Amino acid sequence: MDVRKSFGGIRAVNGVSLALERGRIYGLIGPNGSGKTTLFNCITGVERCDAGAIVLEGTPIQDLKPYQIARRGVGRTFQMIRVFPELTALENLLVVTTGDHAAATTRARELLAFVKLEALAGEYAGNLSYGQQKLVEFVRMLMRDPSLVLLDEPAAGVNRTLLNELLDAVRRLRDAGKTVLLVEHDMKVVMGLCETVFVLDHGEKIAEGPPGVIQTDERVIEAYFGR
Amino acid sequence: MKRLAPVLLVLALIALAFYPAVGTGYGLRAMLQVFMWIALAGSWNLISGLTGYVSFGHVAFFGAGAYTAAILIASSGWSWPFAALAGGVAAGVLALGIGWPCLRLKGPYFAIAMLGLNEVLRALVSYFEGLTGGGNGLSMPTLDATVPVYYAMGLTAIGVTVGSRLIIGSRFGLRLMTIREDEMAAEAMGIPTFRHKLLAFLLSAIGPGIAGALAARDQGYIEPLSVFPLATTITMIVMTLFGGKGTVWGPVLGATVLFVAQEMVWARYPYIHPLLFGAIIVAVVLAMPRGILGLLQTKYRLPRTI
Repeated sequence: MDVRKSFGGIRAVNGVSLALERGRIYGLIGPNGSGKTTLFNCITGVERCDAGAIVLEGTPIQDLKPYQIARRGVGRTFQMIRVFPELTALENLLVVTTGDHAAATTRARELLAFVKLEALAGEYAGNLSYGQQKLVEFVRMLMRDPSLVLLDEPAAGVNRTLLNELLDAVRRLRDAGKTVLLVEHDMKVVMGLCETVFVLDHGEKIAEGPPGVIQTDERVIEAYFGR
Repeated sequence: MKRLAPVLLVLALIALAFYPAVGTGYGLRAMLQVFMWIALAGSWNLISGLTGYVSFGHVAFFGAGAYTAAILIASSGWSWPFAALAGGVAAGVLALGIGWPCLRLKGPYFAIAMLGLNEVLRALVSYFEGLTGGGNGLSMPTLDATVPVYYAMGLTAIGVTVGSRLIIGSRFGLRLMTIREDEMAAEAMGIPTFRHKLLAFLLSAIGPGIAGALAARDQGYIEPLSVFPLATTITMIVMTLFGGKGTVWGPVLGATVLFVAQEMVWARYPYIHPLLFGAIIVAVVLAMPRGILGLLQTKYRLPRTI
């Protein structure tokens, strides 16, 4: 089964249409204000599309509420970190799931161990460092085992060591059959990680293709550097 | 401390259970008030302390419970325990009706809408004289029920506190806190925040509804001004903030300490009493915004369920 999405006529995003296939990593780049985050917000239901459709595994999701979209397997992180500061790292993960408490705790602890934060499970998320909060946010999103993962600038403000771990984790998600769409300004990250890159400018898709091709695309260079 | 606390709690409950046998009339009435404030502050804490949606009109549920019970007792001859339960149900129904539109409002807008609700209810009960007696108030047949009402109010306070303990110790309670922390992130994580808020709001209305009904029975006479005062909402907010919002025992501590303080100040300095009370509030909010238990919780890493 593959995941397909198409967009059309969204306010800040003007008739962008993307098709995503399962088990691949996609990059979404473009200058500031080109509509990347708006597109994320439309996919996750935080903002409503004016027109167009978002189809997840054959089902239209554009009219669903954010929590319903999340429950259908769309997970996301935010450009500015949004952990729950007065909840502990463990609680940040626990709140996401319902059902068996013991099983949820086990899974939450495994995920914290996955990003080497098990020792800080009982610490308030607000007391953690920026990078640690980023990791908590990342694994919190994984609690629901999403099939589509949206990452908004995962590399921003993260040191090299942590970044490499994060990128490894993203590759492992891909290997586990998840689809990843990430917004990123760090071109090294985009070029090294993504299999296909979409380029937005003024709310329109101006290019799509493998990173190597995108880098030499006339319109992309123009959008980024002007003429 | 961990072992001592439950023992002390049981001893306190036993002492309170036998208090009517030895206590004075004033003492009994004062304890009844303490129970009432525990129930009110603890209930306000459920919606506002946990989800961060500040209800400035929570006394509306108290008044709704009081009028429901008073009408049932005076006009339909209900016995007061059933009328008290009906008061709780009425407040719950009101909470669902009001929460459905108002909980979609964010932050200050919700606070203002709740403030308006209270004024509207007060106007309504004044207007429908045939049913409520309007501004003349409503009298119930005389009945000396102070001791049974004492126990009923005590049970209400216990019910609210036990309910808070169960909620705060559960993932449902944690999810309510995610709304306070970051509602949008909570939604994006798959938490149906509206449904959670509505349920918390409903639960937070039942206690005040019952307490209002019991207070009405105890006083025997109610009027719009006596059961819908804004000051009652302010007091439950201050008690919760003082003891520690979002905690189980914060509202209990705040209600007890501030009620006793209020009585003492009231007795000695009747004229400057509001001024002193106001000064205490400002000092507490500035010096420890998390309240006493909130402060201890962060400082000594106490569990969430204190």
